[in-house]
Formats: sequence, C-alpha cells, structure tokens
Amino acid sequence: MTLEQIEAYVDASAVALGLRLRRDHRVGVLRYFALAAEFAALLDAVPLDPQDEPAVQFTPVGPREVEA
Amino acid sequence: MNADALLRQDAASMAEAVRSGALSASALAQASLARIDATDGRVNAFTEVVRERALRRAAQVDASLASPQGARTRELPLLGVPFAVKNLFDIAGLQTLAGSKIERDSTPARADATLVRRLESAGAVLVGALNMDEYAYGFTTENSHVGPAHNPHDLTRIAGGSSGGSAAAVAAAQVPLTLGSDTNGSIRVPASLCGVFGLKPTFGRLPRTGSYPFVASLDHLGPFARSVRDLAAAYDAMQGPEGHGPHDAGCAQRAVESTLPGIGRGLQGLRIGVLGGWFRERAQPEALTAVDTVAQALGASHTVELPLVREGRAAAFLITNSEGAALHLPDLRARAADFEPLSRDRFLAGALLPAAWVARAQRVRQLYAQKVARLFERFDILIAAATPCAATPIGAEWFELQGERLPVRPNMGLLTQPISCIGLPVCAVPVWGAHPDLPIGVQVIGAPWREDLVLRVAAALESAGVVHAPVAPL
Repeated sequence: MTLEQIEAYVDASAVALGLRLRRDHRVGVLRYFALAAEFAALLDAVPLDPQDEPAVQFTPVGPREVEA
Repeated sequence: MNADALLRQDAASMAEAVRSGALSASALAQASLARIDATDGRVNAFTEVVRERALRRAAQVDASLASPQGARTRELPLLGVPFAVKNLFDIAGLQTLAGSKIERDSTPARADATLVRRLESAGAVLVGALNMDEYAYGFTTENSHVGPAHNPHDLTRIAGGSSGGSAAAVAAAQVPLTLGSDTNGSIRVPASLCGVFGLKPTFGRLPRTGSYPFVASLDHLGPFARSVRDLAAAYDAMQGPEGHGPHDAGCAQRAVESTLPGIGRGLQGLRIGVLGGWFRERAQPEALTAVDTVAQALGASHTVELPLVREGRAAAFLITNSEGAALHLPDLRARAADFEPLSRDRFLAGALLPAAWVARAQRVRQLYAQKVARLFERFDILIAAATPCAATPIGAEWFELQGERLPVRPNMGLLTQPISCIGLPVCAVPVWGAHPDLPIGVQVIGAPWREDLVLRVAAALESAGVVHAPVAPL
C-alpha cells in the first residue's frame, strides 16, 4: 500500500468504526498501520490451499450436566 | 537460618524450613513484606501490597500446622512461600488494573484468579500485585501511569515486559515466586533481562480464568522463580482441569502431568538442536555467546532453522494487534487519551486492520505450526536466545541488530514471538558472563505438552552451574 492509500484507508475505516483519531495520535497510527501492512504482504505471499484451516477453533458449549 | 537469609534462598528451601518448624510462615511473610518495604522504592515492582491478607493467610498456615491436620498441611509443596502476581490476575477485593489507568474505575474482583487459588491451596501466601506494561502490550514495563519497573541488577535499565514486575520482584528477592503472562514473550523477555528462570507452558495448559485477557488466542500464564525446582513445583500445583463453574474456553483442561519428580533425570537420550537463521541474525554478540555457552554444555552441535519463522512472527503481530485492539474498542472510542502513550497508537492502528489480514494470519499460523511439528520428529529440544540483547537503559528508543536500527519496544520480543505464536512450551534460563555485567536468557523450547523435557534440560544446566539466578545486590 502507498502512503496515500494507507491514509485513505485509515481515515475511512476509523469513521466506519466510530473512532475519532486525534491529529497527534494519527501520525503514530499511520506508522503502525504501515508496519502491519508490511506483515500482511508477507503473509499474502505464503501459498495456502483452501484446506489450510485457521488456528482458532470453536468448542461448542453444552448445558450444565445435572447430577442424578 | 533467619527469615531474611532464607528469603534469599529458593521457594523449596523456604517450604522446607516451614515444614521442619525452623521458621513460621508468619515470620517468612513478615520478612518478605519488610524486604518489599526496603527495596521497592528503587525497584517499583509492586503496585499493591496485600499486607493484612498475607499475614492473615500465613497465620492460618501456622495454625493449620499446629492442628490435628498438621501432617497433611506439612505435605504442601509451597508451604508458607510468599508469592506475588502480575496485576492482571484477579485478587479478591482489588481492581484488576492490567497496568492501566482506565481499569482504576472497574469493579473490584469478587474472587481470586484460578491460579492464585491453586498456589494458595499448595500452601503459598500472596503478598501483592506487580507492575506491567499496560494491557500487556509491551516488552519493557515502562509504565507511564505508575513509573517503570527497574532492573534490580542495574536500576537504570529496564526489567523487560510485559511481566516486568514479576521478574524484578524475584531478582530482588522480594518474593521467590511470581506469576506473569506471555502472549508474545512477556514471561521470557523479563526473565532474560532480570536473570531469573521463567516458564511459559504450552498454549492451553494452564487455565486463565480470573485474569485480564490481552489476546485470547495467544495468551499464556506461567511462573517465575530463582530455581528450576521452584518453577516445576509451582507449575505442577497449577495444572489440572477446572471442573464446574467458570472456566477458560482456551484451556485444554488436561489432567495433571507432574514434572518435579523427573527434573533430575539429566540429558541422556535427548536430541537437542540450536536454532539458526532468524534467531542468530537478530541477536547481539552477548545473546549469541549465551546460546553458544548453553549449546556447548548440552553437547548440541546441530543448527536448524524454523520453517516459516518470519511469517510466523508476522502472523503473531497481526493477530495481537487486531484482537488486542478489538477488546478495547469501546475505550479507544471514548477515551483514547487515557491509554498508555507508548502503546496507544499501536492499539488504535490494530483496531483498523482488515479482517482478511487477520484471518489469513490464523491460517498461516496453523501451517507454520504443522511445519515446526515435523522438526520435532528429529529433535526433542531446540534452543535460542530469549532476547536480542541484555537490558537496555530505561527510556532507550532504539537498538541496533546486525547493522539495522530498530525501535526497542516492539522488537525486544523478536526471538520469543515466533515461539509463542505456535504455543510451544519454553523455559527461559539465565546465563551470566556473556555480557560484562548483565544476565541474558536462553529459551529451552520443547514440543507441545513437553514441559517435563524443557524443565529437565533447564535443571541439568542449573546443576552443571551453566545457568543460575543470583539475588541482585540492592
């Protein structure tokens, strides 16, 4: 992402989330978002099959067992 | 031996003294409280001391020893041992601050965290809560709300983080045992910089019920101590499924697999590798010397690289950034200025990450775990430095790694983050002599659920005198 793209995305997504970025916070936010974008690009380059599942698992929750 | 001298020994020695009647639990608790009073103005490890509770609990231990149940009480592994916990663990009656200013407005905890209860059931005596990076998002414990935790071995330097108070309190002999949390390195980094032992168990091993989360899909809890036998005793006391009532959905709820009886079995039959590539390219000379010292003592000559390690670290960063920020989104919206200035902008950026990035990070994380599992078919243990360098000065913004200038605060965990990303158990062991004045830790890494092996190797290194955790001369 270019700096302009990052700025446009950060400002638009902040609005979508109801997050008002103060000017003195925004500088750091743009820097950290750019760093995250670099990491995301690294992961984008990893070949994945549709069968490569995510690490997180959900465990269904049953009702409490009633003792007999 | 009097209580002050005993406080410089390990928890097992203290429990034995109480067991034998040489010293009461009350005398030990008073000695710990006095040591905190005398030293914490310089160390700043504690954010709360629960004096009355500690003395009441110690008196209960002493009364129980003198009662008809005395024989059973005497068997408790941590009898009368003072301990303290990172201030993200619930302590009944106190606000669980998690290093923040924001949580000062929260409702006090109604009950102790599960692990606090388990340690007290094993005979230990809680004396207080410890300093940390806000919401555990940091590696330095330069907490702007309560001041930095100071490294007891050099008070001008950081204690590491985010469990900085937990490592500093043990190095300062304020207590022999503490608890911390580790999402990306927050037990292993401060253990390395303060020269103490730290155990990050397998992801899902110890229940997190009653602790303030940072990143639920990466958070681990574990102990710090000045001996391996203390780590093993504390870890054994904290294992086991939670049963009825509130429980940690991320906990595997496995049965107890005791490690203490096996830590003296030595190195025979263990295949040990040294991590190269990423782990050597991002280490300063003292970190490389520490690893080489440990490798030589272990007879480990094979260097291996973790497949997908760079991508694993990237995945951990994105998951942490996004999940951690989402947890605090209401406060980021309403009161961003009340967050720790050193991590606030990282939190705000994390709230904005596209979902597709994070979903992909979780898929790459799983692939990375599968590839590393194949490496453990050839090795039982892998070793690597715990931090790229020894403790940096408080306030330092940058350090240099192989000619590259990097910010200290997000990068002190460069070598720990790829390991916790896939939940492997690690014992951080303290090496002296690699740096002129300061300690630095080495990670002893095992396959999932093999805490027994990482503790066994750590104990072998300790008994050979290669690693040790001296009390800081405060």
